[in-house]
Amino acid sequence: MSQPAEIVAEELTKAYGKFLAVDNISFAVPKGMVVGFLGPNGAGKTTTIRMLTCFMPPTSGSARVAGFDVFHDSLKVRSHLGYLPENAPVYMEMRVAEYLQFRGRLRGMDRSRLKERIAEVTELCWLADRRRWPISKLSKGYRQRLGIADALLHNPPVLILDEPTVGLDPAQIRETRKLIANLAGMHTVLLSTHILSEVELVCQKVIIIGRGKILAQGSPEELKQQCAQRGAGAKLVLEIRGPADQIRSALAALPGVDQVRIISDTTVATLELTGKLDGALREQMAALIQQRGWALREMRSSGASLEEFFVQITDPGAAAAA
Amino acid sequence: MSTVLALAKREISGLFYSPIGYIVLAIYLLFVGLLFALLVMQPGAIADPGPMFQWNHLILIFVVPFMTMSLFSEEYRSGRIETLRTSPITDWQLLLGKFLGAMGFYCVVIASSLIFIIILSLFGRPDYMTVLTSYLGLFLMGLLMVAIGLFFSACTQHQILAAMSSCVTLVALGILFQAISYFLGAALGVSWAWLRTLRHVLRYLAIEPHMVNFSRGLVDSRNVVFFLSGAGLFLFLTYIVLESRKWR
Repeated sequence: MSQPAEIVAEELTKAYGKFLAVDNISFAVPKGMVVGFLGPNGAGKTTTIRMLTCFMPPTSGSARVAGFDVFHDSLKVRSHLGYLPENAPVYMEMRVAEYLQFRGRLRGMDRSRLKERIAEVTELCWLADRRRWPISKLSKGYRQRLGIADALLHNPPVLILDEPTVGLDPAQIRETRKLIANLAGMHTVLLSTHILSEVELVCQKVIIIGRGKILAQGSPEELKQQCAQRGAGAKLVLEIRGPADQIRSALAALPGVDQVRIISDTTVATLELTGKLDGALREQMAALIQQRGWALREMRSSGASLEEFFVQITDPGAAAAA
Repeated sequence: MSTVLALAKREISGLFYSPIGYIVLAIYLLFVGLLFALLVMQPGAIADPGPMFQWNHLILIFVVPFMTMSLFSEEYRSGRIETLRTSPITDWQLLLGKFLGAMGFYCVVIASSLIFIIILSLFGRPDYMTVLTSYLGLFLMGLLMVAIGLFFSACTQHQILAAMSSCVTLVALGILFQAISYFLGAALGVSWAWLRTLRHVLRYLAIEPHMVNFSRGLVDSRNVVFFLSGAGLFLFLTYIVLESRKWR
């Protein structure tokens, strides 16, 4: 790897009794990048993160964060790490600034720097007007932001965020994503989530994990390409004025079209096609439609989204049934 | 050290923010007041607060578990343990911080009984040195009781379970062992050697015999060692429990 990696996992494995929660996974997060860590619930995301944050040791394998081994140099790893656990647990009876003060002192920050940083992170996480508030009076969204502010407090080179947008309303989700996207460059971020659009918006690289194994990794574009190459993901939606049944049989006869499904059937028919839908085939379709005297209103590709890819690789059974 | 103090400060303020702290304080004062009124504040008696201190542990047995039950349990239940254990602090710092915090609150609780010493001093002249050694005894006993509470709190995420387990343990140390050794001595006439040994062991483990000396103004190193080593043992056990949780 050309860039130095800030988080490196090598053959990381965690077994709970006989159950392998994380099964021999290896990956690297390059410095300054926001990397999405994606997987369905129960895929082993949180377990992996807990090993990276030194909350529990791996059963076998090793990991390095900010250049330190999570097992042998755990205190150093922890001081170079900002971590937002799932649901951002905080002390309800404390006030916002008081809580950050406490967290800063746990990290051995001195008073003047701590004061400065509290002002900065509360500003950054839109908490400035809530500094004096008791945490119990804050909404879920604000508590989540407080968790992020806490993770950023000591300005760590590496940030690990476990589902940072859970429980936020759409406006807050957008703001939080903006915040995370802004962190790239200055910080290396590992962002765990099961929301796909989030990954497409903020991450430069995606690692997809399922049943404890890494299923795919690469940039969102690469993954989309992989998905398109597999073919099955690509879909074409056509809107044509004409008799739906005839259109369907005409299109289905074209070589390369696997399946044609009628979505709506009024004076304007909407059809969804799957198959190997390359450029030549699409031109052929347009020509055919014109020749038969129907009117082509719209032709757009759908699918080939990360979502499609995600569903396919994390659960092949479900994809086949759909 | 500053991280330990930060943890301790949070623990004390946590108890003062919650109603539990005040309930504990009120119940303690109520029962110490009863001891004071029934055993000390008698017309014509000498101004000796001794009995109030000698039987103080009978109240603290039921009060301390409620102070200590949430120390770790609540962190487990809420998930905050993750933020704590991924901070750059060692397990010893974490548990000493919690221990110190609970001890701080314990000191506030026992200091509240000073009000009765003040009342007593209005009517007579108690021996202040004896009062001092009595408080020293209460403090040392507190180290043991809080360490026991801390240990059970580290064992479970259910506060009530933690409180009940430490309560049972403290009742054994504070009441049961002494009662059993008393009956072994009185009723059985102790002829078997092992029974005699058992009686001695139980009597050594009971709290009350260790408190008598302090309440009489005597600081005996055997009593000091008993409380300190007991506290040390339970702190060490707590450390083991914390360590072992990682591997599950």
